[in-house]
Amino acid sequence: MMINPVLLIAIPLGLAFIAVVFKKLQGWILAIGVAANAFLVFFVEKGETAIGGFKLPFAISLVLDDFSFIGVILVNVLTLAAVAVAFRKTEKYVPVILAGLAGLNGMVLTGDMFNLFVFMEITAISAYILSSEGRKPEQSFNYLVIGSIGSVLYLLGLILIYGQTGTLNMSLMAEKSALIGQAAMVLPLVLIFAGIAVEAKLLPMSGWVRGVLGNSNALTGVMFASVYSSAALMVFGRVFSQVLIPGTTAGVIIIVIALLTFAAGQVSAFRSKSLRQVLLYSSIAQSGLAAALFATGFVFPAVLVIINNAAGKMIMFSTAGNLEEKYGTDDYVGLGGAFVRNMPAGVAFTIAALSLTGLPLVFGFYAKLNVLAAYLNQGTFFVPAVVLAGTIIEGAYFIRILIKLWAPGKEGEWADADQSVGEKKIFNPAGTVVVILVTLLIILSGFLPDSVGKLVAPGGGLLGDEGPSISMTMEKGGDQ
Amino acid sequence: MIKFASLLLIIIGLYGILSTRNVIKILVGINVMEIGINVFIIAMGFVNDGAAPILSVDNPVNVLKFVDPVAQALVLTSIVIGLGITALGLVFARKIHKKYGTYDLSETGGES
Amino acid sequence: MKKIFAGLLAVAFGIVLLIGISLNTGLFGYNDSLPEDGAASHYISKDVNGKTDEVVFGETTGAETGSANMVTSVIANYRSFDTLGEVTVLFLAALGVSLLAGTMDKGRKRSGSGFILRTSARILFPLMLVTGIYIFTHGHLTPGGGFPGGSMIASSFLLLYLADESFRANVKGFKVAEGLAGTLYVAIGIVGLLAAGYFLVNFLPTGTVGNLLSAGIIPVVYVIIGLKVGSEITGIVADMFNEEVKA
Repeated sequence: MMINPVLLIAIPLGLAFIAVVFKKLQGWILAIGVAANAFLVFFVEKGETAIGGFKLPFAISLVLDDFSFIGVILVNVLTLAAVAVAFRKTEKYVPVILAGLAGLNGMVLTGDMFNLFVFMEITAISAYILSSEGRKPEQSFNYLVIGSIGSVLYLLGLILIYGQTGTLNMSLMAEKSALIGQAAMVLPLVLIFAGIAVEAKLLPMSGWVRGVLGNSNALTGVMFASVYSSAALMVFGRVFSQVLIPGTTAGVIIIVIALLTFAAGQVSAFRSKSLRQVLLYSSIAQSGLAAALFATGFVFPAVLVIINNAAGKMIMFSTAGNLEEKYGTDDYVGLGGAFVRNMPAGVAFTIAALSLTGLPLVFGFYAKLNVLAAYLNQGTFFVPAVVLAGTIIEGAYFIRILIKLWAPGKEGEWADADQSVGEKKIFNPAGTVVVILVTLLIILSGFLPDSVGKLVAPGGGLLGDEGPSISMTMEKGGDQ
Repeated sequence: MIKFASLLLIIIGLYGILSTRNVIKILVGINVMEIGINVFIIAMGFVNDGAAPILSVDNPVNVLKFVDPVAQALVLTSIVIGLGITALGLVFARKIHKKYGTYDLSETGGES
Repeated sequence: MKKIFAGLLAVAFGIVLLIGISLNTGLFGYNDSLPEDGAASHYISKDVNGKTDEVVFGETTGAETGSANMVTSVIANYRSFDTLGEVTVLFLAALGVSLLAGTMDKGRKRSGSGFILRTSARILFPLMLVTGIYIFTHGHLTPGGGFPGGSMIASSFLLLYLADESFRANVKGFKVAEGLAGTLYVAIGIVGLLAAGYFLVNFLPTGTVGNLLSAGIIPVVYVIIGLKVGSEITGIVADMFNEEVKA
């Protein structure tokens, strides 16, 4: 039996309201809500669902196509993983997480530009509250200010387009805005870009990331770096590759900003000493890459980058958050040999790092290959060069971290147990199981990338006519 | 003219946010900016000689000329969201004050 | 120095906006009519689900949404899903305020207030409360609705807080009211989904345009919103006064 997609939003939202009334049962309500959503997401009816019983395009609608299907799977499954890894830390925040989950699902599913704004605000406010867990109120405040400037700009851009098209429905807006002259669309596009860029961690609006993610724990780190940023990037893709396709000027502005984000993120990550800072800058870089791909129109590789980043960052941020909590330091030099004592966590972290870098046999390789192939097929050589250079820097800093965390001693010597930091369990049992499952998924999908490609783009559909553009045998899958 | 004035408000709000490190003043700046946007949205929805979009004894038939009700609904939503953000911002401001004894961000020390 | 930089940045942004908007919709003057086939025109003529005759105040029965106030018909029916989200934003903000304020020390003792101030506040309080309730029950007929009505209720409590230093609102009661109202809103949506196949569908008869008992679920939704907004903002006010009983 297929269910209505609105339930993915209504169930967590209703449970969030109930959780305020029944404070004693909050743990159960959270577990039930998150698990139910992660289960139900696979039984959701495809197509465009109107809300309120009015005819499209005048009603608010939810659109479940191949694109948003990936988005809701990522959001719900990763939220379940984040909650399972750090269930103890969710105590205070049960209604916040549930309402945030509803907002994330709404963001990915909605087919209405203003409804998107409302859901982005729900998500943002839940993020502001979660960020207060970092005990740095000035950083949360900073985040709030950047977020509200972003939302004001988004609203201004949206209302300009509404004034010209008279509609807020995404598909109708796509149709009508294509008829407007490019010059008139540059400002609204840039304003909307600035609004979405806050959560997507793109350059001018990413000033909050360092303070918030640098003080994150296993719960908030995974939520921000993995769940929220995947949803924000899926929204970015929806808006800029399907609704408001940027013309030449706006397109160049957005792509340049995105590539700058990628480059700046990789360089800053390389210069950071703290584990979480390396990870957060690497997240910014990955967001920049995905945004550049979306703005160019390469939806399929961008989705692969998002999946790869979400899975990898889930493992890495939960490990980093727990390491900081257990050992009291975040400097990876001070954490030397921590993985020798924690084999499962170490192996998972290593595989996630390899996948993010894009080494063969893991999923990231397939993603990077598709990114490069997409550009090379188009005949662009500048962007692949930037991506490759970024990948080399990325590889360098991840390998540096891995060496320290596995082998604390001098170069060339294998880890000596005495030189390592003391033995402490990084994950609780449930967390270990979740992390191992995600790691297995990364490895498995590395061996069977074509099936992932089919899952991501079964019929082409809204992903454009591309489909998987490259398979492991290097055949061209479709035309650009 | 109203559009121009609302843009002025947005710019004043932005200046308010950028020019000070005082938490409360930044929040005031955000609010000025939001009011600017709200006025702008209403101005976008205005129609020359349009009536308020409410059927009443004075305007009994819906074929008359009305201003855009959608814009007004959007403004309501945006006002409420602004209220929520302001409330949350004020609580963060109090936490900052409690932790550092000042409302000035430049006096809160360290970068991260 | 910082101020000059900020000023330059703001002016630059303003120039970008001026140029961009004059390229887009123009800065001066307003539209002469709403876009022909835009959503707004359909919401005004109440013909989203098919052509209808003109709607006359006090005469037409069974019109789409049935609300005389078109802004209300947009907020509580055509775009009710947005409003559910908006209520959630406020809910989260109130929750955040109580989470964060709850961990702070008790505020300074407020200075006492005189007898005249206290008494006049007590006289005003029920009047404001009743006006608030009137505003949100008539949201589908007159300007106003759940949000202004709820804010009025909250401001009546704010008045008591300001005028009477010994006043304590029952914060827990407001939390329960807020949660229940939110649950009811979602429940109305789900009832619509089960009854008519659409979330938040207007499943009640819409009655005569202009009657108090008309517009189907709109007054119901607005009463829920009014109570929810009222209890949320009162909760924020109470938390700001730092009186929350620590659970």
